[in-house]
Amino acid sequence: MAVRRKLIKERVPTPEVSVEERVKSFVEVNLGYDFASAVKEAERCLQCPPEYAPCIKGCPVHINIPGFIGKLVEYRDDPNKAVKEALRVIWNDNTLPAVTGRVCPQEEQCEAPCVMNKVGDPINIGKLERFVADYARKNNIEDQLLEEMKPAVCGKGRVAVVGAGPAGLTCAGELAKLGYDVTIFEALHKPGGVLIYGIPEFRLPKEILDKEIEKLRKLGVEIKLDHVVGKTVTLEELLEEYDAVFIGTGAGTPKLLNIPGILLDRIYSANEFLTRVNLMKAYLFPEYDEPIAIGKKTIVIGAGNTAMDAARSALRLGSEVTIAYRRGREDMTARIEEIQHAEEEGVKFEFFLNPVEFIGDENGRVKAVKFEKMRPLEERDKRGKRKIVGTGEYVTLEADTVIIAIGLEPNRIISEEATGLKTNPDGTLVVDENLMTSIPGVFAGGDAIRGEATVILAMGDGKRAAKAICDYIEKKRAKANA
Amino acid sequence: MGYKITAKENLSVIDFFMEVEAPHVARSWKPGQFIVLIVDEKGERVPMSVYYADKDTGRVGMFIRRHGVTTFKLWYEKQVGDELLSVAGPLGKPIEVKHYGNVVFAADAVCAQAECYATLKAMKEAGNYTIAIHSFETKDHVYPEKFLSKPVADEFYITTEDGSVGRKGHYLDVLKELIEQDKVDIVFAGGKLGSLKKLAELTRPYGIPTITTVRQIMVDGTGMCGSCRILYDGEIKFACRDGPMFYAHKVDWDDVIRRDSRFAEQQAFARERYLAKLREKGVI
Ligand SMILES: Cc1cc2nc3c(=O)[nH]c(=O)nc-3n(C[C@H](O)[C@H](O)[C@H](O)COP(=O)(O)OP(=O)(O)OC[C@H]3O[C@@H](n4cnc5c(N)ncnc54)[C@H](O)[C@@H]3O)c2cc1C
Ligand SMILES: Cc1cc2nc3c(=O)[nH]c(=O)nc-3n(C[C@H](O)[C@H](O)[C@H](O)COP(=O)(O)OP(=O)(O)OC[C@H]3O[C@@H](n4cnc5c(N)ncnc54)[C@H](O)[C@@H]3O)c2cc1C
Ligand code: SF4
Ligand code: SF4
Ligand code: FES
Repeated sequence: MAVRRKLIKERVPTPEVSVEERVKSFVEVNLGYDFASAVKEAERCLQCPPEYAPCIKGCPVHINIPGFIGKLVEYRDDPNKAVKEALRVIWNDNTLPAVTGRVCPQEEQCEAPCVMNKVGDPINIGKLERFVADYARKNNIEDQLLEEMKPAVCGKGRVAVVGAGPAGLTCAGELAKLGYDVTIFEALHKPGGVLIYGIPEFRLPKEILDKEIEKLRKLGVEIKLDHVVGKTVTLEELLEEYDAVFIGTGAGTPKLLNIPGILLDRIYSANEFLTRVNLMKAYLFPEYDEPIAIGKKTIVIGAGNTAMDAARSALRLGSEVTIAYRRGREDMTARIEEIQHAEEEGVKFEFFLNPVEFIGDENGRVKAVKFEKMRPLEERDKRGKRKIVGTGEYVTLEADTVIIAIGLEPNRIISEEATGLKTNPDGTLVVDENLMTSIPGVFAGGDAIRGEATVILAMGDGKRAAKAICDYIEKKRAKANA
Repeated sequence: MGYKITAKENLSVIDFFMEVEAPHVARSWKPGQFIVLIVDEKGERVPMSVYYADKDTGRVGMFIRRHGVTTFKLWYEKQVGDELLSVAGPLGKPIEVKHYGNVVFAADAVCAQAECYATLKAMKEAGNYTIAIHSFETKDHVYPEKFLSKPVADEFYITTEDGSVGRKGHYLDVLKELIEQDKVDIVFAGGKLGSLKKLAELTRPYGIPTITTVRQIMVDGTGMCGSCRILYDGEIKFACRDGPMFYAHKVDWDDVIRRDSRFAEQQAFARERYLAKLREKGVI
């Protein structure tokens, strides 16, 4: 592209639903680009050469970012063609762009190193990625592309995938494209993992997920719901029937605070709260059967994405919400967009407060939380966060609902049953450089090996594991035939 | 998809029997484990005990009380041949089936009446002397004979509070006598949480191992949410994952009992709303 473009420092904005509207409902907050504005944003990209482009290095799965953005500009006169070609580039590395475009912490990944940061706003890579995926979904472009990508060969082997979160879904999709028969075993009654039970509708509309699942079914992937591996079937049984197994069971077990009052009513783990509200649709009670009990003053403990999602959901259910975090503002781990949205919507933040006791009323319902005030030190921990110490001073905040969002760890159902499966002390599975666990033929990825991480890392693992599984099965076959 | 209802029968004025086709569950279920079912798209995930799980037919039987919306839907809207949205399991840890000597199972509510049969069947096969105690409120609550644990019990008792069937009283009274006769090596029990608390106090002084279901409100049933958390020997345990059967002497029963009515307000509201709809339609 010979035309030299003018530097445009500011992002083309994406419209958002007004604060008044959104705090009353679960509709998606950010509305994304339309074609014209997407092209305008795409034109800002300097088209750094792929071998250099820092954005590509910042993306954990190394999407050819200038490549897909370039297609939008190149075919600007034919929106369908532009999107199809852009999607083709994205799909090389990422099969769930409608999801990652919405939930990746872009400010730490692809957008952080974008050269445009030096002169103005980075390119809005996330929203462009989301635009391509949304436009393609709405205009049946995905189906066309999928048709072209259908595996030429199939029946290359049988693989069982455990868990239908981003890791499992990606692994299954990749293997199906490579010609394997894949069956996913999922414990819950709906596939999607955190994408379906955790992340709320206002951040990730569930229709997106339905479409992704439909894509997998078209590729021939079978999904067995209501199957808890380790209970319904054992890992050993899967190994007898399949050539290889991928474990993508995530990190779904909530950490709770073992402090006085933890059993009081209306104290929820974020997982319980979000599962009731999102997966089971308690926000539509009594139309839906799932109940949720929430008061007028909610305290959310923690400051990650889970905490933001819980806080914003509680707000939509009509409560005032305060997030209490034991560290400082700059140590919060949630995506910046979520923190901003939470603030706009009226969530209050309290920092350097560490809960020490939940105080209940005579009916056993929580009425306040006692915190110790913390103080930051200069010294930093492994993750680069400032260490904190208690001050010996206490404060008590009123609350009639508490949501604990202090982290999650892997569910140990499989590792408890399959004793040959080595785990680290935190419950994550031990894997080698090919993502193979201590049991030959059993691979793993996503939060099951990383602890709480991100959607894109889980997908990256799923994809890498698919390749490794393919190699493993081919080698095994070659050996057997030799 | 969908899990077909293969049999349904009324048991009493409040309880009924239902059988569903769920071969994936039936093949691996063991006594002590439960299932989770969802009636329809708008339904919640509700845990149910298992009366039997037949590997050959792939069918799972259960006893259900008409408590609230879910169980009303099961009774009034779902007939034999209809399907349930979801049946997952088996969940929870199996109990250890081995030779203990004299094994008692004491039951005073719907879930436990099912567990009594399932547990004693396995215990009898393991060579134990089995004693079943079924407690009901009154004769209208007593199940037809074929649904009681007689076939798997070497010794069999029924009690009603008013003495209208069997002995007058409760399983606690029968058990006390059995203990005094030195006839009890281990007690399993389930049902009303208040009775389980009393049971723990009854057997504690004798040092009799007492293993009971700790029924708590669940969501996923797989250890993912902590809704079912209890304090067990001072530690947080999840009833669905670490139980549901626990040593009763180590359970903090007061919290367990209180947490069972965490959603009482919502449940009552939904129940009344549903009953009003039934009345409107002339179903009841
Ligand atoms: C509330 C919340 C918000 C988040 N927000 C973001 C965000 O904005 N951006 C981001 O990048 N990341 C976010 N994350 C993190 C991200 O969702 C996870 O890193 C990611 O989902 C991990 O994917 P996974 O496939 O490894 O596991 P999961 O998504 O956890 O999926 C695991 C699946 O395995 C199933 N399973 C578990 N055990 C068994 C078994 N024994 N048998 C069968 N099935 C089983 C589970 O039911 C589940 O469906 C968030 C997490 C939470 C909880
Ligand atoms: C391990 C276990 C085994 C069970 N076995 C049986 C059984 O064999 N037969 C049977 O009839 N019931 C059983 N239950 C209880 C069963 O789950 C409730 O009957 C059911 O949820 C009632 O739903 P509802 O909408 O009809 O009534 P609701 O009006 O919602 O509730 C009525 C009562 O049921 C209990 N309950 C409600 N929701 C839940 C929930 N999500 N999880 C657990 N308990 C709940 C509460 O005590 C509540 O007060 C069992 C529960 C557990 C935890
Ligand atoms: S996958 Fe995530 S990190 Fe990679 S380009 Fe897309 S939004 Fe950026
Ligand atoms: S670094 Fe920024 S400007 Fe360069 S190619 Fe990537 S998105 Fe475009
Ligand atoms: S029901 Fe969710 S952890 Fe037990």
